[in-house]
Amino acid sequence: MTKEKTIQITIDNKTIDARPNQTILQAAREYQIYIPSLCAMEHLSSYGACRLCVVEVDGLRGFPTSCTTPVEEGMVIRTDTAEVKGLRQEVLKLLLSEHPASCLFCTEQDECKQYMGTIRKVGATTGCRYCPNDHRCELQQIAENIGLTETSYPVYYRNFPVEKYDPFYDRDYNLCILCGRCVRVCNNVRLNGTLSFKQRGRVTTIGPAFDRSHIDAGCEFCGACVTACPTGALSVKVSKWYGRPEGQVATTCNYCSAGCRLILQTTKTDVIDALPDYDSAVEHGIICVKGRFGITEYVHSPLRYGTPKEMTPAGYNDISWEEAIAKAAGKLSGLKPDDCLIVVSPQLLTEDLFVAQQFIRQVTGSEEVASSFIFDLDGDAASFINLALASEPFETIEKAQGILAVGFDSTYGYSPIGVKAKQAAQAGASLMSLNSFESNLDLLSKIAFVVNSSRWADVLDLTMSRMSKGKAEKRFADLVEMWGSDLNKTCETFSCSSHNVLIVGPGIIDSPDRGKILRSIERMKNEYSWKVVVAHQYTNLAGMFAMGACPGIKPGEMIKEASADKAVVLKAELIHIDLRKKRKLIYLIGDASFDSLPECEFLIYQNALPPQCSRQPDLILPVSLFTEASGTVISAEGRVLQVKEAVAPYMDSKPDWWILKSIAEKMGKGKMKFNDVSSIQGEIKKIIKGFPAVKKRIEFKEIEVKGNVKTHGKGKPAAWKSSYRGIPLGEVVSGIKVIELKGG
Amino acid sequence: MNIVRNHVLISIDAGTLMSGARAVEDALVKEIVKQGLDKEVSVLETGSIGITGRGVILVVYPEGIYYADVTPDDVPELVEEHLLKGRPLTRLILTETPKRTIITKEKTGLLKEQPRIVLKNCGFIDPENIDEYIAAGGYEGIAKVLQTMTSEDVVAEIKSSGLLGRGGAGFPTGMKWDFAIKTPGDEKFVICNADEGEPGTFKDRLILEGDPHKLIEGMLIAGYAIHGTRGFVYIRGEYSLSIERIEKAILDARAYGLLGKNILESNFSFDIVVMKGAGAYVCGEETALIESLEGKRGHPRNKPPFPINAGLWGKPTLVNNVETLANISEIIRNGAEWYKGYGTEKCSGTKVFTILGHVATPGLVETEMGTTLKDIIFEYGGGIKNGKTFKGALVGGAAGAFLGPDMLNVKMDFVNLKEYSAALGSGAILVMNEDTDMVDMLKSVLHFFKHESCGHCVPCRLGTARLVELIDDIAASKAKKEDIDQLLEITRVMKDSSFCPLGQSVTLPVSSALKYFKNEFMSRVTS
Repeated sequence: MTKEKTIQITIDNKTIDARPNQTILQAAREYQIYIPSLCAMEHLSSYGACRLCVVEVDGLRGFPTSCTTPVEEGMVIRTDTAEVKGLRQEVLKLLLSEHPASCLFCTEQDECKQYMGTIRKVGATTGCRYCPNDHRCELQQIAENIGLTETSYPVYYRNFPVEKYDPFYDRDYNLCILCGRCVRVCNNVRLNGTLSFKQRGRVTTIGPAFDRSHIDAGCEFCGACVTACPTGALSVKVSKWYGRPEGQVATTCNYCSAGCRLILQTTKTDVIDALPDYDSAVEHGIICVKGRFGITEYVHSPLRYGTPKEMTPAGYNDISWEEAIAKAAGKLSGLKPDDCLIVVSPQLLTEDLFVAQQFIRQVTGSEEVASSFIFDLDGDAASFINLALASEPFETIEKAQGILAVGFDSTYGYSPIGVKAKQAAQAGASLMSLNSFESNLDLLSKIAFVVNSSRWADVLDLTMSRMSKGKAEKRFADLVEMWGSDLNKTCETFSCSSHNVLIVGPGIIDSPDRGKILRSIERMKNEYSWKVVVAHQYTNLAGMFAMGACPGIKPGEMIKEASADKAVVLKAELIHIDLRKKRKLIYLIGDASFDSLPECEFLIYQNALPPQCSRQPDLILPVSLFTEASGTVISAEGRVLQVKEAVAPYMDSKPDWWILKSIAEKMGKGKMKFNDVSSIQGEIKKIIKGFPAVKKRIEFKEIEVKGNVKTHGKGKPAAWKSSYRGIPLGEVVSGIKVIELKGG
Repeated sequence: MNIVRNHVLISIDAGTLMSGARAVEDALVKEIVKQGLDKEVSVLETGSIGITGRGVILVVYPEGIYYADVTPDDVPELVEEHLLKGRPLTRLILTETPKRTIITKEKTGLLKEQPRIVLKNCGFIDPENIDEYIAAGGYEGIAKVLQTMTSEDVVAEIKSSGLLGRGGAGFPTGMKWDFAIKTPGDEKFVICNADEGEPGTFKDRLILEGDPHKLIEGMLIAGYAIHGTRGFVYIRGEYSLSIERIEKAILDARAYGLLGKNILESNFSFDIVVMKGAGAYVCGEETALIESLEGKRGHPRNKPPFPINAGLWGKPTLVNNVETLANISEIIRNGAEWYKGYGTEKCSGTKVFTILGHVATPGLVETEMGTTLKDIIFEYGGGIKNGKTFKGALVGGAAGAFLGPDMLNVKMDFVNLKEYSAALGSGAILVMNEDTDMVDMLKSVLHFFKHESCGHCVPCRLGTARLVELIDDIAASKAKKEDIDQLLEITRVMKDSSFCPLGQSVTLPVSSALKYFKNEFMSRVTS
């Protein structure tokens, strides 16, 4: 990397180095020189609305705003002269003339803080806590820093109705200061364009054009606007009254394979909010609705299991862990490998997956490490795995000249991939989307194919045929008729480009014709050198294969060390799981795919929330969720990402690995002497060097299936909805239910 | 060719159209035919002759007699008396007629002639006929430029002419062009700012209605000078006749090979597009105008970068006012030295003023820079209406300054007015007589600002709202003495901290009103 040229500027008699394209404010912030500002925000373009960052610059007239003035060599800047301070106070007074300010200027303030800090539905004075942002408000902070203790204007209340009719967050524009951060983040960072300014002058408000609701205006509920809001105008429904968080923890989202980093804000017992991390190298803060708003309600669901439970004729009885472990051990003892089916969720942490495969192999002696993705993908599992494990990193999309998205939509998920595709399209890449419904990429697409998934393979084949200027076959006739000329143009750019990216979305998993589609994708990849990025819901699929939590694959066997590594040969019968054969015992570890399961005599259900099914589990083992556990996940890009415990496990719940090793110990089988997560990681280190501190992306070998794969014959899987540990998010998170209903 | 005895020019502009100019024209043509005069008298349409508020206006040549407030009912009498019998119809003659055009040289009364550069053809030629413009020397400027001058020559000529931008700020045009020519870029744009929103200003409209080709020629020369590729006329949506005429002019110019590829067989290619504004005052600010032109909300942009470096779609963009561009072809044709012969040393050329309010003949006046306010009001404007006395004038539109009676001798130009904390601005002169309530005047100005503030920055959005509350209280005699101080304090904060000139300029009307008419304000407040 070449070192950037620096220029010297002087701020308040301190000489500092700045970069040529910086503004005064950016340079000052790097050196911790405080200049108040409400509208400037890192990662957003300068806006210059709040006028609080005024400074004096030698040679410049008046009071330029530091957020809009670029630095120049030798610039002399003063940030705290009496004139500047006075001007800031006056501007802030004007700003507060239409912002409820009793939290700032109130003679009763001290008493109020001390005695009235409650919200009670009682006939008592409880203080005027109308603002959910009290004590975590940038405006309050600024008023303190600027030293404003009184105002010369009466406060005008604008009397806008509070908007509560959309899911996830409320909007009280009486508190809005029109800094425009939300509008800029929505339009320029998320490339979504839901928010804009309405009206003008003093009656300006913010919202979707034509007064539509957010949900109708195409809001993705990514919450970037809420994060950006410096006041209480935008607030998260579930956590708005929590006040100032007590701690925060950086972790990785477990809801899909993208591996977005999150900052969880916590109180002693609760996760109250999940914020994006704009400095993250994975998704650069571009998280989706699931990570932003889907966590708090899930992990604090009132339905969560707090203690182990046993089914009795009179219903469930709470039992102790000793009893529960003894019960499970007793049921598992003496079973033949074929008698039991153990299903492991791909959404467990890597460490749990490692212990799970050891448990199955060492305790039951079976090789049948079943998982929901095998049920979903049936005979196409191997080809999907090969595609998914070889997924290119997301940044491949950035420089793409041609992009084709199949079965992909990033409205309510996979945001980092979707936004990258949109960015590339805005920068001039030819984007083509192929889906069975209108996707959020259509607007920027050169062509948007909305066709049934049974035709996707045809569209892909037609694209390839056009790229190589082949003759159109008869089966394409209707496609050519509808999209022919556009397709020719787009394929022209595809064939001229050396950097085409195919984005494969979870839509193909749902398609009954995924076999055909996958074969076409393979051809595009191998014969036409398309780079493939795969987005799917199996969070730790890569971890599963790295740990060998899969039939026929040993721990570490799949990890590629040299590019010449050969494919792992797998016998076809190994990945066939017979879902018709009755079992004596089924043990679900973090899974709830009851639709696919065969009949059984005893069902152990190790999860956090009750399943939606008629078959009641016989034994329930409550687990702690990813906000309460530490470990790692391996993302679709092959990154090893840390998951960190943010709060203590819910009631008596335990991590998956602890339950498994306790049962094994009780049965006296296996060699699982783990006391904590780091002891498991020590074991994994033998497979992956340096684990868990692995910087390099993990690469995988291919799978080669020998023999014919039998299908389990359970028919096509139910249309996929976002779920975690087998529980659809829409069942637990009220807002997700609303958007999924609308999206359905 | 048929030689006619009389030419009747009928002024067709937005004002006369509303007064029924078309009906008068129809009646006139019919009546002339009826009287059998159609071989001897011809009726011609022209742009505004510069008089407003006097209904339909006709000028009969060669006598040079102005008729005002003509209705279709007057037509038979007028035709019979003047055109048939040769006796001017005295009851309709505009007696206060200032000498407004250069058509006849003789002095016909009390008023002195206007030196017309910008309005040379207005009220004289048919604006919808490109041949008339060419016959009046039009497009000679661009021909001269293309054949004999380099871009640098053009810029040097404009620079040495001393032309200052007529949009309001008075920035040297040549210097702006010089920046533009020095900014690298394969594509550069010329924008004509015709979003004339300053209250009381309608000079750009009358130039567009009266002589649209002059603007096209100015833009062509500007385009050639800065290596521009495309031009845009951003015009107020309300100016329907201006839009119609400039669009027709563009089509005609294109048909004559004066726009498009290889203009006059040179290597220079340039074309112009007309874009309509949606009526926001702030869009007269050049960066807000560019945002609006790009299809976005009319918010001003951060400066720097200035449009000259990164304007429309991020390309170098030259934004000039209509009147500025209308000066260009005359400067090129006659030379910078000729141009400097008009006006003052620091402020050359002429200025088009719009006089309105309590004056006898409101309308458009082009005079030399540096003419005194007194001359403009009393000689060109015909003095105060109904024999009242002069109390004050609001000069430069809402964003301008009030001037009191002791300022009547001030020389009206960009440089001189600055010394008196006033501004020439758009050149609007709103004249007020002794009966005017200055508090009410300021109130309406402040209400205007509140209504037009775009809402982008805090001081302007909320400052204008607070100012309106205060002035409403003062006007209703409900305010205290301190409220006047607060009025001034808010405008000072707005001047120092507003994002764009809209908020920054509110201080001018407020402080000047309080400077010249403080007593009136004090009498409304309690101490």
